[in-house]
Amino acid sequence: MANDKATTEATGRRSHSPGLGHRTSLVIGLALAALLIAAAAIGPWLWSLDPLAMDFAAPLAPPSADHPMGTDANGRDVLARALAGARISLFVGAIVVATGFLSGGGVGIAAALGRRWLDALLMRIVDALAAFPPLVLAMAVTVGFGVGLTTATVGIALSCVPFFARLMRADVLRIRALPFVEASVAVGVGPWRMIFRHVLPHAAPTMLVQCASVFGYAILTLAGLGFIGLGAQIPEPEWGAMITDGMQYALTGQWWLAFYPGLAVLLAVVAVNLLADYAQAALGVRGLEA
Amino acid sequence: MIRFFWKRISASALSLFGASLVAFFLLRASPGDPARLFLGPFAGEEALKRVRADLGLDGSPLLQYLIYVRRFLAGDWGFSYSTGQPVATLIARRFPATLELGLYAFLIAFLSALALALVAAYRRGPVDGTARAISFFTMGVPPFWFGLMLLLMFFEALGWLPGPDGRLSIKVIEPPRVTGLLTIDALLAGDFAAFRDAFAHLALPALTLGLTPFSFLFRLLRANLIDVCREPFILVARSGGLTRWGAFLRHALPNAFMPTLTASGLLFGQLLAGSVLVERVFVWPGVGALVTDGVLKQDFSVVQAFILLSAAIYVVCNLIVDLLGGVIDPRLAVSGGDR
Repeated sequence: MANDKATTEATGRRSHSPGLGHRTSLVIGLALAALLIAAAAIGPWLWSLDPLAMDFAAPLAPPSADHPMGTDANGRDVLARALAGARISLFVGAIVVATGFLSGGGVGIAAALGRRWLDALLMRIVDALAAFPPLVLAMAVTVGFGVGLTTATVGIALSCVPFFARLMRADVLRIRALPFVEASVAVGVGPWRMIFRHVLPHAAPTMLVQCASVFGYAILTLAGLGFIGLGAQIPEPEWGAMITDGMQYALTGQWWLAFYPGLAVLLAVVAVNLLADYAQAALGVRGLEA
Repeated sequence: MIRFFWKRISASALSLFGASLVAFFLLRASPGDPARLFLGPFAGEEALKRVRADLGLDGSPLLQYLIYVRRFLAGDWGFSYSTGQPVATLIARRFPATLELGLYAFLIAFLSALALALVAAYRRGPVDGTARAISFFTMGVPPFWFGLMLLLMFFEALGWLPGPDGRLSIKVIEPPRVTGLLTIDALLAGDFAAFRDAFAHLALPALTLGLTPFSFLFRLLRANLIDVCREPFILVARSGGLTRWGAFLRHALPNAFMPTLTASGLLFGQLLAGSVLVERVFVWPGVGALVTDGVLKQDFSVVQAFILLSAAIYVVCNLIVDLLGGVIDPRLAVSGGDR
């Protein structure tokens, strides 16, 4: 307990062991994430049907042993497409998190530690990006630069730059004001060493949680863009585009077309959010609920 | 206080100015030729030139930007080629449908988040666990897919609610237009059959659109309530003889509420964007469906106008809750509202 208090005073963060609810989050989240990664990594290898191959002998076939998730209007196997979709979604999620974190985080550090005018300039740019609802900013990129999976990925990455930049700036400012950083400056630690050795390691927990939730946001937004026709295009096996494709058949009885890709999005995003929730509790990160 | 108001208003104006620059850069200065986008791949050079002049695209970038902003402010949002009507007219006609949907969605989201967060933070244990599980589901589910599943369940399988056929059944006569919100208009006209029908049509789309704001509000309010309950002043209130529930409602809730209010503005401002994902599923005749129709027909003039419009509405919603927050809790105004 005394130790807890000391940690709080030194780092400005409360550390406490995660409770039972959070441990449930971890177990379910890990199981779902393992399932998802396995589906993306070895799924297409185990279930070797071509996600793009059409079979006009079996259009709109209901789920059966041959096609466990049925087929679409062109006889394409929904399971093979869902597995290929897992690859697309995880890949896009990873790209979005990596680019968003590097650019947004870089902007945040530069704003927090740079001169006043640089801070003001960078933050006004971030404000301008944050003036759009995130989905709309991603839409603007795809409309302006041509509809497709690549522009959708760029758009989603751009839309999460403000999240990272603001959070990183606030966290760096908070950490820099802590006594131990001041002490390190007093004993002659240079600016770069201060950033990489003292400031960034303390910003890591917050950033880790943020990266996890942005990963989920990216998967969900990619599906949304695919759904409204501004992301991946049919016949690309992307989950959101598959839902759009299947929607017209859902109310006439062919529910499996839209059901399975939607379920895949749900499980993927829940997995990521559960892991983010556990990390947040375990690392004592606060104030990221919104 | 006046200084705080002025600071917030000028900051919002500045970010809107920035947003217009971003929109201009993304939509007009992008590699794709907007005139080509409007006319399609087979247009001749003469026609392209004419459309460029029409769109204000033949001057310097600065001039182009000024024309872009002036036209947006004047309500000249371009022309929709697929419907043959000005975009502003189309959006204005469809806005009430989206507004009504958004209001109900927000009401559902806010009230259920409030109720669930109160119960979860007060009881903790399994009740809290269940509430949290619900919030993980609502946060992870793609809203458009959830809407489709609701339709399959409540329209197709059970037949309890109307299917995706807009705001009213065909046999129901629309109440005289006063506010444009059908439920209110029906009540004003005393037409309860129309009210019931409009309400039944709203139920599933509003529930679907409310999912995202619900998850955020619930998580935020629950976390803040649990935090505030650890504060010493709650102990003081209890030791003064207040029951646990009394202290919870009278002292914890008001103190935990501020971040929720701020987030409310943010989430309400995002509903217009969310409507793009939800309306198409229910064939709801609002702005969101207009945008998805535009994408489907390669008619991007509607989408372009929608992008800047939704930013404007988003910023204004944020500004309103910021100012409201400063009035309710003057400490925010003194600190300049910096977060």
